Amino acid sequence: MTAKAPRLFDVSRPVLIAVAALLAILIALPMGWLIVTSFSTKDGQATLGNFVTLFTDPSFLDPLLATLLLSVSVSVICCAVAAPMGWLVARTDMPLSRTVRTLVMASLVTPPFVGAVAWEMLAAPNSGLLNQLWRLITGAPDDEALFDIYTFEGLIFAIACYTFPYVFILVANALDRMPGELEDASSMLGARTWATARRITVPLALPTLLAGALVAFLQTLNQFGSPAILAIPAGFHTLTTKIWSLFQFPPKPELASAAALPLLVLTVALLRAQSLVLGRRGYAVLGGKYGAPRLIRLGPWRWPAVGLALFVLSLPLFLPYAALLNTAFSKVSSQLITPQTFTLHNVVFTFGELSSTLPALQNTFVLATATATVGGLLALLIAYIVARRAVVGHRVLAFLATAPLAIPGIVLGVGLFLAYTRPPLTLYGTLWILLIAFVTIELPAAYQQLGSAFHSVHPELEEAGRMLGATRLRTLKDITAPLLRSAAIATWCFVFVGVIRELSAAVILFTSETKVLSVLIFDLKESGDVGAIAVLSLTMVILTTVVIVIANRIGGSVRLTSRVAG
Amino acid sequence: MASVELKNLGKRYGHAVAVDDVSLTIGHGQLVCLLGPSGCGKTTTLRLLAGFVEPSAGEILVGGKVLSSPQRTVPPEGRNMSMIFQSYALWPHMTVAENVAYGLRIRKMDKATVDAKLKAILSTARLEALAERYPGELSGGQQQRVSLARALVVEPETLLLDEPLSNLDANLREEMRFEIRRLHDRYRYTTVYVTHDQSEAMTTADLIAVMNLGRIEQLGTPKEIYDAPHSAFVARFIGGSNILSGKALDAGHVAIGGGTLATTGRPLVAGETVTVSIRQHEIEISTAAPSAANMLHGVVGRQVFLGASRDYTVALDDGTELRVTASPMQDIAPGREVWLRLPAERCRALMGGNDT
Repeated sequence: MTAKAPRLFDVSRPVLIAVAALLAILIALPMGWLIVTSFSTKDGQATLGNFVTLFTDPSFLDPLLATLLLSVSVSVICCAVAAPMGWLVARTDMPLSRTVRTLVMASLVTPPFVGAVAWEMLAAPNSGLLNQLWRLITGAPDDEALFDIYTFEGLIFAIACYTFPYVFILVANALDRMPGELEDASSMLGARTWATARRITVPLALPTLLAGALVAFLQTLNQFGSPAILAIPAGFHTLTTKIWSLFQFPPKPELASAAALPLLVLTVALLRAQSLVLGRRGYAVLGGKYGAPRLIRLGPWRWPAVGLALFVLSLPLFLPYAALLNTAFSKVSSQLITPQTFTLHNVVFTFGELSSTLPALQNTFVLATATATVGGLLALLIAYIVARRAVVGHRVLAFLATAPLAIPGIVLGVGLFLAYTRPPLTLYGTLWILLIAFVTIELPAAYQQLGSAFHSVHPELEEAGRMLGATRLRTLKDITAPLLRSAAIATWCFVFVGVIRELSAAVILFTSETKVLSVLIFDLKESGDVGAIAVLSLTMVILTTVVIVIANRIGGSVRLTSRVAG
Repeated sequence: MASVELKNLGKRYGHAVAVDDVSLTIGHGQLVCLLGPSGCGKTTTLRLLAGFVEPSAGEILVGGKVLSSPQRTVPPEGRNMSMIFQSYALWPHMTVAENVAYGLRIRKMDKATVDAKLKAILSTARLEALAERYPGELSGGQQQRVSLARALVVEPETLLLDEPLSNLDANLREEMRFEIRRLHDRYRYTTVYVTHDQSEAMTTADLIAVMNLGRIEQLGTPKEIYDAPHSAFVARFIGGSNILSGKALDAGHVAIGGGTLATTGRPLVAGETVTVSIRQHEIEISTAAPSAANMLHGVVGRQVFLGASRDYTVALDDGTELRVTASPMQDIAPGREVWLRLPAERCRALMGGNDT
């Protein structure tokens, strides 16, 4: 080991410095400008005035309070729904539990703002399909509505629909991994099923549930799409929509920066809390072999349990997709489709006549491909350096690569806007600024996936190759690369999907030349062209699903759950 | 405490048979070992006893009461049994004291009783100093003792142990074997102990049931199992035996390895294929010409000095290889011609052919 080739060391040193510098620029430049701007007046004078405004003006305080209340409500609801469902799926003999798992994953694939759009179609007070159905059944007058999605409660509901899957997956995985013998031991000592659940299962699952609540809180805190679609018509703002509105004419970047800072600080703090909760490995499995858990018999409750699970899944999945399909293929979007009203007009219009569709699709494809390739390679390089401790100082790289996790998309958007609207790099208005944004946002997830893939390839596999006379590069090519191929392809696919779904940074950084699909859907809201919105939303979901299915075929067990950024 | 009775117990999963027509009576206060290789059905039998698995046939009685049958199975919590798991299954969110007292609390005993019983069992298991620790902070042996204490403190009618020592290192395993037997002698619970380690079974058990392919192949005291295996499977599994195959000449003689051996055990039918077992250390090796009956001729292939003994491999005239354990003083070079004496009373004709 002492006879390390000195030439190799010479190469790796500059590589480390270059990668570290690149990462530092990616993160430090926008965040630096964000902080500087938040403490400046319009003319560049130092001031605390922005924060005084932020914490005294009700038009800022209200969004802050609304955001906190919203995030707490969503977390509580998500836990209340996801924990029993996770338990049903992982620990009972409920029929169709695999199907339920798959469907929960499917609701995770749906971009939340697409869900919000669909719920407008279902539960807008006048035109909403569910409200029309209700009037039809009860004979209520036209001005009465059962549901109103344009309310604070409506927003909580719409966000919770697409956030509870994160909590569900965490809880179900934890219960899957919890050794069945821990429960068996309690039964043997005379505890009945419910006593065992209360004293053993629940306490063991509690840290996971707490972590899930934090994930849900973070998701809600930083979500832009759903609030923009539902809260603004309802007449209130959240922090993210407030920041966005400050970029509308006339732009007030100083106030936007000041409003972005609390979001950044809160996110960093919550991520710390989450790693503390999940980091207490005292709850981990103790040594030894464990059997698969025994499933609890629900008896006559089996079918009601499935019914409940499917009802819950109808909220993020069945109803919204029915509404989207209805709108996409119906002449009158606010009426249920019949053979007479079936039309392909919306499809033809969206792809044939709407001038912004094809450029947006093209931009999305170019950006998704470029981000997946550039970000994937960067993540691969960092993962290799860190996993094999190839250079002194590799820990710095690991930290920098995961740091963007703590930067909400909209905050990054503001920072990048500030950093690249001025010389020397005036990138605003080009696709480059979006590429930088997307690479930064996707890097942590890509790095984590490839990092764990590297860890699963034991260094001894490489060392065995080198003992047989292969050089370091040769072992990389012959041994490491084939073992990592599927993980790398899967990572590429997931970055691709992440870019297609991204809205919150793009909505700050786009110009009319650089619209992407998500922004286009959001923009069409202004013109109220629901047919095109439905067609584009479905297009986005189909694209996403296809890529994810491919990735799952190739990558196997790569998890979507490690993605926290919304 | 009560006797435990398995009557024609069977368990199948689809077409796969895990336990096949097992009958076994365990007397009050007896310790029975279910011994066998992995997949022999011993763990399924134990889980049937515990009530985690429902039988497809037969029944389980404890103290004359039917606890398991295909029609009705009393759930684990209603059986007043205790179990020690292979993984110990200590609850990581409870301290040692909380783990041990759990069963007492479930039984709704008052605080004074719980404290007294807890104190007594912790001292018996030498755990007083560790009472407030969490399982994650204990060594493997300490975890094992906590799991024993937790199972014993509730004074079960029946105690079940599932490979309790397999996660310990060799030294500790030996120590815990005696510990388990000591605690059993003290409390005298009817105990069923599952293991694949024959020396573990020998040390702890009153009775050993050797299992194979879901059936009990042989039931007997450790001495009976060791001295008189019924089948080639048992002989092989207990270890240290040579298994030879030959043709019966009459009721008590077999042609084997180019010679003739008088055998004991079951009466033979002339012409049948017979499997004969003899322990390695029961064979006498010498370079002198035959002077008695039951001698076979061969050539030393290999010898290894093991300190307390010398281990020989001898090739008989027909090519069959025999292992012989001899005194370390007896040094015969490889390639030398030797005569092996296989005492007739040690050559046991086994049941069945040479099928396993």
